[in-house]
Amino acid sequence: MRCALSGAAQTALGVSDSAVLAHAPQGCNYLVDGAFSWQDCDYAQTTTLCTKLCEDEIVHGGEELLARTILEAKELEISALFVLSACGPEIVGDDIVAVCEDMQPQVDFKIIPIECAGFRGSQYDGIDIALEAMLRTLAANECPKIPNSVCLVAPHANANPTWIADLAWVKEVLAKLGIKVVATLTHETLLSELTNISAAEGVLQLSHDAGYKAVSYLADNFGVEPLCADVPLPIGLTNTRRWLTSLAKRFNAERIAENLIEEGERMVTETCRRRWPIARFFYRTPAAIIADATIGIPLVRFATEEMELTPALVALRSVRPEARRLLDNELNNLGIAPHVLYGTDVYATRRSLAEVRPKVVFGSTIERHASEGLDVPYVFEVVRPVRQFRMLNREYFGYRGILNLLECIQNEWSDRWRSKERRYAARW
Amino acid sequence: MAFKGTTVRGTVVKGIAMKQIAIYGKGGIGKSTVASNISAALNERGVKVMQVGCDPKRDSTRILAGGHLIPAVLEIYRDKLRQGQDAHAISLDDIIFKTSSGIYCVEAGGPEPGIGCAGRGVLTALQILKDLKAFETYEIDVAIYDVLGDVVCGGFAMPIREGFASEIYLVCSGGFMSIYAANNIARAVQRLARRGDAGLAGIICNSNGDDALERAVVPAFAERLGTAFVEFVPHSSVIQACELEGRAVVEHAPQSEEATIFRELALKVMENDTKVIPTPVEELPELEELYRKNVP
Repeated sequence: MRCALSGAAQTALGVSDSAVLAHAPQGCNYLVDGAFSWQDCDYAQTTTLCTKLCEDEIVHGGEELLARTILEAKELEISALFVLSACGPEIVGDDIVAVCEDMQPQVDFKIIPIECAGFRGSQYDGIDIALEAMLRTLAANECPKIPNSVCLVAPHANANPTWIADLAWVKEVLAKLGIKVVATLTHETLLSELTNISAAEGVLQLSHDAGYKAVSYLADNFGVEPLCADVPLPIGLTNTRRWLTSLAKRFNAERIAENLIEEGERMVTETCRRRWPIARFFYRTPAAIIADATIGIPLVRFATEEMELTPALVALRSVRPEARRLLDNELNNLGIAPHVLYGTDVYATRRSLAEVRPKVVFGSTIERHASEGLDVPYVFEVVRPVRQFRMLNREYFGYRGILNLLECIQNEWSDRWRSKERRYAARW
Repeated sequence: MAFKGTTVRGTVVKGIAMKQIAIYGKGGIGKSTVASNISAALNERGVKVMQVGCDPKRDSTRILAGGHLIPAVLEIYRDKLRQGQDAHAISLDDIIFKTSSGIYCVEAGGPEPGIGCAGRGVLTALQILKDLKAFETYEIDVAIYDVLGDVVCGGFAMPIREGFASEIYLVCSGGFMSIYAANNIARAVQRLARRGDAGLAGIICNSNGDDALERAVVPAFAERLGTAFVEFVPHSSVIQACELEGRAVVEHAPQSEEATIFRELALKVMENDTKVIPTPVEELPELEELYRKNVP
C-alpha cells in the first residue's frame, strides 16, 4: 500500500480546473504521477508541479522555494492550487500552511495546503487528510438544502483500478432514483461543487477504506445525513439489493428500486444461463479473500451466497474500526467464522495462506505470488489486477459488476485448464 | 612537533597519524571556549590544528578568529547553488580560514533558527570537507570538532558515526543538568561506538564556580562512566576577559595560571591513547543518587 502523499494526490487530482504542487523531492513526485493515472487525468488539461527539493532545502528549509514555485503557477489558468507536502519538508519543519497564506494575496487562484507527509500513514489516511483539508478550506457555511440530493465521498479509495466505472454505475442508479448528485469527493469535481457541498441532504460513502472522517465532518457541521452506512457496498446480488433498498427507502423511491433490482437480477440470471459459467464447481470450496475493505467486505457475501464457497480466510489490508464492525456484522449475519486478519501485508498473508490452505483465493497478482507452493489452484485477480491491461473501465458495483467478477473467475478457471502443469496442480 | 606520526593514534592520512577529537556537552557549558583554547595551546606547541565548528550559530572559532565570525561552509555552498554551481565549485580557500597564529578554522553553519535540519547540515558540511581532502591538503595533525549542545538527533552524531572523530570528550560542570546531559551524550557514544572506532576519551570539567562540589561530583561521574577525569578548568575572570577580547587564553594572557591549565589539558589530549565504550547511568534516580552521594 502506498503512503499518505499518494492518497492526497489522488484526491487533489480529482478536482477539475486545478493543479497540484508537490513540495517534495523529485522521487516522491512519482507518487503524484501514479495518482494522475488513478484519476484518469488528461495531460492536456491537468498540470502537476514539484519543488524538487534537494539537500540545500533539507538543510535550510524549502519555504522560499515553495513560495517561488507558487508564483510560477500564476501562469496557469486554474481556479485552485493544491500544495502537498512530502516527508522531507515536514521533518525539517517547512510550514506550508503559512507559506500558502502569505502567497494567497499574490495569486488569483485559491491555494489549498495539504500536510500529507508519507509518514502520516497509508494512502487511505492521505485521502482522509486531503478531504478534510478541502472541506475545511472550501466548503461554504450551510447552503439551502437541495431536495433529494446527495454527495459522494471517496469513490477513488477502491482497489478496482477502473473504479471510475463503479462511480458511473452509482451515478446512473441515482439518476434513475431521482436523486441529484451535488458533489463527488473527488472525480472531475468542480470547485463550485465543493463550495456548495453542504446543500446535499445525504452523503454516500463509496469506500470502506477512506472517507469516514469526511462523512462525519459533513454530518456534524452541515447536517448532511450519512446513507447506507451499515450495509456493504453493492458488490454481488444480495449486497446490491440491500444497498439499493436502503437508499431508495430514504428517498421514497422503493418502487423504482424494486424495478431496478428485478431487471438487474434477471439480466444476471439470463446471462449466466446463456453463457453457462462454471461457478457451481466451487461448491463449498475453502476460499481466502485478500483485499482492501472496499472490495473485501462485500466479497465475503458474494463468495458465500452467490459462489457458494466457504470463506476460510478474510485478510483486509486496511484496518478502519468502522470497516471492522461492518465485517463483524456480515460474518455474524452469514453465520461463518473464517480466520480474519486486519492490516495484512504480503508476509502475514503468506503465513495465513500456509495455515488455512484455501483452494481459491480472491486477491491480486501479489496474492498469486504469495500462494506459490501452497497448492492453491485458483487465484482470482479481482483486486488491482496489474497483469491485465484494461482499455475500458469495468465496474464491480451493481449487476454488470457481478458479470465482470464472474468473467474474472471463469477466465482463471479456463486458464488453469489450458496449462498442463497447472491442470495437474488443480486436481485437488 | 614531538607528537607527529609517533605517539599519536588515530586516522592515518597520507601516512601521517591524525588525531580527531570531538567535544560534546550541554548547551552553554563552554565547549567552544575549551575547544578553542585546546586548539590554541596545541598550535603554540607547533601542532597543526583544524577546529571545525559544528553548530548553526557558527561561533565556535570566534575567539581564534580575533572575535569575528568566519563564513560558514553551508553559507558558501548555498551561494554557489544560487549561482547555478554545485559543491564541486567550492575550494578549500573558500571555507577554511587560517588565523594569524596558524590555526585552521572551519564553521559548518546551518539553517536559520526554527527551520531546516541542522543535523543534516553538519553532515553536508563535513562531507564537503572530506570530498575536498581538507585534512590531507593541510597535513593536519589534530582535528577538533566542536559539536552543538546535545546529540539531539542523528545529524549531530555524524562526527562520530561517519568516523570523522574517534576520541570524544565531554565538557560538563557540577550542575546536575549538565551531568544529566553528559550522561545522555555518553549513551549516544555507547550506541555509536559499537559501529566504529569512536570511544569516550574523558570528561573535562568547566567550572561554574562551585569548586568543592565539582571536584567531588565530576570525577565520581567520570568513574561511573568508566572514563578519565581529564582536567578541571576553573571559573575565572581571566578566561572571561579573553573571551570578551576574542582571543585565546594562551595568546592573550600567556603567563596566567589559566594558560598553564589549558596547556596541560592540550598535552593530556594530545598524549591520550585511551578511549572507552562508556557505561552510562540508565535511570534518572540512579544518577540523582550518584550526585547526592558525592555532594560534599
